[in-house]
Amino acid sequence: MGIIHLSTIGLLIDIFAAAILVTAVLIVSSRSLVFYIRLFALQSFFLGAVALLVVLGYGETHILIAAFLTIAVKAIALPMVLTRVIERIQVRKEIEFSINITASLLLCAGMVILSDSVAQSILSSQRGEAPAVSRVLSVSIAMMLIGLFIMMTRKKALTQIIGLLTMENGVFLSGLSITYGMPLIVEVGIFFDIMIAVLILGVFVFRINKTFETISIDSLRNLRH
Amino acid sequence: MILFSLLLGTPIAGSILCALFHKRRVLEIITVTSSGLTFLSAFWLAAKVMQETTLHSPQGWWYADGLSAYIIIIVSGSAFVVALYSIGYLRRQIYKRKVDAPKLWLYYLLLNIFLFTMMLVLLSNNLGFLWIGSEATTLATAFLVAFYERESSIEAAWKYVVICSVGITLALFGIILTYFSALHVVPASGNALHWSSLMLVAKELDPAVLKLAFIFILIGFGTKAGLAPMHTWKPDAYGEAPAPISALMAAGLVNVALYSLMRFYILVDKAVGGGFASTLFIIFGLMSMGVAVPFILLQRDFKRLLAYSSVEHVGIIVFALGIGTPLAYFGALLHLLNNAIAKILLFLTAGNVRMAYGSRIMHKVTGAIKVIPASATLLIVGVFAITGWPPFGIFVSEFTIVSAGFTSGNIVPAILFIGFITTIFVGFIYYTSRMVLGEPHRPVKGSDADSASLLLLGLLLGALLMLGVFIPSQLQQCIQNAVNVLKG
Repeated sequence: MGIIHLSTIGLLIDIFAAAILVTAVLIVSSRSLVFYIRLFALQSFFLGAVALLVVLGYGETHILIAAFLTIAVKAIALPMVLTRVIERIQVRKEIEFSINITASLLLCAGMVILSDSVAQSILSSQRGEAPAVSRVLSVSIAMMLIGLFIMMTRKKALTQIIGLLTMENGVFLSGLSITYGMPLIVEVGIFFDIMIAVLILGVFVFRINKTFETISIDSLRNLRH
Repeated sequence: MILFSLLLGTPIAGSILCALFHKRRVLEIITVTSSGLTFLSAFWLAAKVMQETTLHSPQGWWYADGLSAYIIIIVSGSAFVVALYSIGYLRRQIYKRKVDAPKLWLYYLLLNIFLFTMMLVLLSNNLGFLWIGSEATTLATAFLVAFYERESSIEAAWKYVVICSVGITLALFGIILTYFSALHVVPASGNALHWSSLMLVAKELDPAVLKLAFIFILIGFGTKAGLAPMHTWKPDAYGEAPAPISALMAAGLVNVALYSLMRFYILVDKAVGGGFASTLFIIFGLMSMGVAVPFILLQRDFKRLLAYSSVEHVGIIVFALGIGTPLAYFGALLHLLNNAIAKILLFLTAGNVRMAYGSRIMHKVTGAIKVIPASATLLIVGVFAITGWPPFGIFVSEFTIVSAGFTSGNIVPAILFIGFITTIFVGFIYYTSRMVLGEPHRPVKGSDADSASLLLLGLLLGALLMLGVFIPSQLQQCIQNAVNVLKG
């Protein structure tokens, strides 16, 4: 790439990765479902940008399609679907927590530190030169943990979907950072699966709403033992 | 190549045809034909693999060897039996007005897609495809679990999709780490995700990265298989799905997930060595058996009882794989087959009991032998089979596994294994004998399944009995080929 220097690209990737992490943390500290969806859209947009930068900087053209899919599906289509869902079912848009925001943020900070050490250990053991940008790998692992944390502590059905998608974004980012993405056809298949999964979960949200008149998963506690 | 097209193409064709037609009769014929053809092709595959050891498609995306052939026979066979049984089952449900025409259509359509997604996993050489197929099995079964649209079934389906998707997302990270460890080693990077290329260079892969990858993969595919402590979706999903679907999940889907675990187990064991993967398998296997014990002893619902039995038997198989001697592998693979047959038999008879009594709660079901004598007999004999009594097949495979445990020096795990099995046996017999024997609490007007369906169940019981007495030489050879693959 003659026009943009490789180190500039590296810097930009770092900046976008940081922005992705910020959106994940903001989701944790958010109280409104609408914000959840918007922040997720923003996060996916940044993720698409990282993928584009990888294409620019390292000439991995097969990621180009994955980058466009990320923006089209995760930053535009899925947020639109999810917004429609919450408009349609007219749910109370405030989120209840089982852990309050301050404690959640502290835990997130802990998770980021943990992720960094895991990332270091993955990279240090690799023989030969590592293609990885270690900071990006740390961010991606932190995203998986934060996504899981959202799913475990936020009690709306929709927050579970956002948590799952945040985890997926983390995994995609990890693929970008250490392997420059999976082979194209695999990547496309993964996108297809995720899209179907979210649509199916969206249908269930409607049905849960129909039968329980709320979409707080607290009411999903009939099945025990 | 034609075999790959047959095994993958038949269920796809079945799905497309089901999508086009809506008549009950036509849907039944399509589904039975597509699963039957897949089952036949599986035998062809097994025969082919015996001659040529491994089969590749030209670009190496698809792959089959002794292990895949054996499991494809079990899975497609289960699908065929379930497809046959579904005919009578759904007709009775339509008669009772529990199922209408659009639901019937959805059922058969999703059953075909479900079979396709399982074949996708079992034939993929590319680990990325294997992942895509695994997630697709969850998606294909989501609406089948939610089939009756009760509050509880939607809750179960929600839990099922969310938990399995989280698990499988973690597995994807494991696959990416595996890919990462191979990028510098495998020449053409497009092949770095092919299981067969990874096996060739297993010794050069980075052991530290691969260990971490295996932990994520064990959690991920362990969730799909229903290993404790990631099993929590299983009782709900098996309890709520229609009986034939629960049967196919317990006999087919579980084995598909176990197959994925085995592929990574073979790879990581070869690359890392030192008993890393096998120790994890022994621990998780015993944990699953142990976790199942209290839930089986204190159970109220007989479909959930069977679901916990599935958690137990997945534990048994994973435990046996962890022991890691050829004898243990043989026991594990034989158990895969025995457990599949027994689970289909039990879930389907449980479905009959449920339909006759209109309840899954065990204390509401008594004296089944007087109400539905055929199904009640099958149920009680099936329970003796699943809890490992001679002369049934499960006794043989469990006995093989225990002796492999003792001879390999895993004395304490083997003793724990016997303890868990015995306790579970006591719980099972206690509950089922109360269901089957005695007098019905109240007059039950329910009727049993049609005679063709009952005959099918009788044949399954006959197969279990046969496997307890002798193992046909072709089967023996088939399992032996699969054992050779497991040895790496």
